[in-house]
Amino acid sequence: MNKIFLLLTLYFLALLNTQSHSQKITTSNTGTVKITFINTVKGQPLALNTGSYTNPFGEAYTVSKFKYYISHVSMAGAKGDVNEVENYYLVDESKPETLHFSLTINAGNYNRLNFLLGVDSLHNVSGAQSGALDPLNDMFWTWNNGYIMAKLEGRSPQSKLVNNKLEFHIGGFMGENNVLKNITLHFPPGKFLNIQPGKTSEIMIEADIDTWWQQPNDIKIAEHAVCSSPGQLAKKIADNYSKMFSIKDVVN
Amino acid sequence: MKCLQIIKDILSKGSKPLSKRSSCKGTSVALGVRSRIIILLSLCITLCALLIGASNNSPVKFADGNLPDYIEFKIPAGWPKPPTNIFAKNKLSEQGFQLGKKLFYDPRLSKDGSISCANCHQQFAAFATYEHDFSHGHNDQHTSRNAPALFNLAWMTKYHWDGGINHIEVQPLSPITSPTEMAETLENVLIKLKSDTAYPKLFKAAFGTEEINSQRMLKALAQFTGSIVSSNSKYDKVLRGEASFTYAEENGYKFFKANCAGCHIEPLFTDNSFRNNGLEINTFLKDYGRMNITGNPKDSLKFKVPSLRNVALSFPYMHDGRYYSLGAAIEHYRKGIVTTQSTLDPLLANTFNITNAQKYELIYFLNTLTDTSITRNPRFAK
Ligand code: HEC
Ligand code: HEC
Repeated sequence: MNKIFLLLTLYFLALLNTQSHSQKITTSNTGTVKITFINTVKGQPLALNTGSYTNPFGEAYTVSKFKYYISHVSMAGAKGDVNEVENYYLVDESKPETLHFSLTINAGNYNRLNFLLGVDSLHNVSGAQSGALDPLNDMFWTWNNGYIMAKLEGRSPQSKLVNNKLEFHIGGFMGENNVLKNITLHFPPGKFLNIQPGKTSEIMIEADIDTWWQQPNDIKIAEHAVCSSPGQLAKKIADNYSKMFSIKDVVN
Repeated sequence: MKCLQIIKDILSKGSKPLSKRSSCKGTSVALGVRSRIIILLSLCITLCALLIGASNNSPVKFADGNLPDYIEFKIPAGWPKPPTNIFAKNKLSEQGFQLGKKLFYDPRLSKDGSISCANCHQQFAAFATYEHDFSHGHNDQHTSRNAPALFNLAWMTKYHWDGGINHIEVQPLSPITSPTEMAETLENVLIKLKSDTAYPKLFKAAFGTEEINSQRMLKALAQFTGSIVSSNSKYDKVLRGEASFTYAEENGYKFFKANCAGCHIEPLFTDNSFRNNGLEINTFLKDYGRMNITGNPKDSLKFKVPSLRNVALSFPYMHDGRYYSLGAAIEHYRKGIVTTQSTLDPLLANTFNITNAQKYELIYFLNTLTDTSITRNPRFAK
């Protein structure tokens, strides 16, 4: 009899142990942060197809598609406490429901937000994925595998392509061709994200397409109307667009 | 399921002593009521824990409790372990394999419903395109490369002649969406599969629910193509002591080991690396192979070293199918190597001295690599 009880006790202890490993963040000390992306051109809300824009080189263009991947979102506070969520999000201007998402994070004060602009290299080589990473989303190169991290399509009279097409498919995750960008956005001075248990705070992020053309690299449509594979041009454009984000507002 | 039997036993009033049954914890003592209750409780907790655990990390959720018949991927004796386990996140099962096979032979994966994977990958040709340099795809357009034979894919980490595909699961996206192959969209393929009467049940048998999505379809196809293993040719039998080479085959084998095995390494007859074997560039196609993918000039004109298993069936040869016979392919190594290319593989820097006799012995040997256990196996047939 004693033996059995001993066995059972050990058994329960073992079970408790495995349980605690998989414990999720308990609801009592967590709140929600809603992150909203507002895509713009020079601060004006982006209007797909109908909006007509001019880049810093005086080249006119319209935008028909604008999508990018956001992953590994984390919040950080003065004390360095970081909350990372591995999820993948595809922000797609044509689908309003993709322009915001919510995360559950520990209560506390945070002064900055970090995320990866793109899909980490591991998930570029891990086979068939689902959700935001589903190849159905038209963000996966089928002949030279890897995710398109950001996509901008439209038209421009300066384009020398058929139908004046403008087509930037920016990707590359290996070695020299890596276009992955770690983005850190500090909240405006004096502003904190104050996550309180059970409550929702909001961060509004602006993504400005006007940044794609300049600084540090001049991208003129007359010279480059298409980018469809990893390489130098993709890297140049990614260097530019890595600066497209800014915090518009933080609401607690 | 023995545990369930024990719970039943414990619950049933006039239960037989547990000692006669095999128990899941190996206790073999007759038990009192109190300890029975404790055991029952602990079993319940275990079950719950297992269920929670399963829903967290298991790739398959089977609501109805039915599991597919998992099968083990067998590595032939003496073979190297595959560099990655392609089935690590795609547990191989009989149902998954059968679903993959049905998809492989289903022409509805193409735009006009006339071209299946098997149109270009024919079983009797070791899943290469028989007798065609370029395979015919949608609207009779041609692919720009020769369709490779499909076997031992589990040992590869990169697919296609240029290695542009980095995982077996995503490979089918290329032929399905290529305008010269199946010319279809992934959306449409899924719509067609969903509206079919048979597929939802097959997806359920393989993955637990009737849901049809791209991930499941691709994983099923990988279960089929990844399961094709060629390890039963005459050559293999000779190595296992079940057969013996003729005099000519034996000589061919010796020549092969001395001159060809640097790249076509046994037992796979490839090292799956990318190399330039000195073919003159096809001026019409201007295909630079691996460089198209990496952008690195050092990769110019490098192509994946093809396995020479079943090579007698997979003609025509080379990435563009330029040679129609093994003799012609060997002639390339005898006098066709373009030595002026800067990326030519050092192993081929000096042209071979191949006598006519050696050439024929080599062909005899290469013919021993034909494996009817895949080309005539009903398991892989439609
Ligand atoms: C129109 C002919 C055609 C069709 C249809 C076709 N393939 Fe292929 N397949 C090819 C060609 C050509 C290649 C070589 C492509 C390259 O290297 O660029 C290839 C390559 C492959 C490879 C890589 C083999 C290796 O050694 O790297 C696999 C796996 C494969 N095909 C599976 C499939 C599957 C699965 C389907 C159906 C979904 C399919 N193919 C449909 C012509 C075809
Ligand atoms: C330096 C590495 C290397 C050596 C050594 C080598 N090969 Fe190859 N072989 C290749 C590569 C790479 C290809 C594919 C080339 C292409 O298609 O562009 C190939 C293709 C072939 C093919 C065509 C197979 C097919 O399915 O298309 C045959 C046959 C062949 N080799 C036979 C031989 C023989 C016989 C020898 C020895 C005399 C040999 N090889 C030595 C690298 C090598």
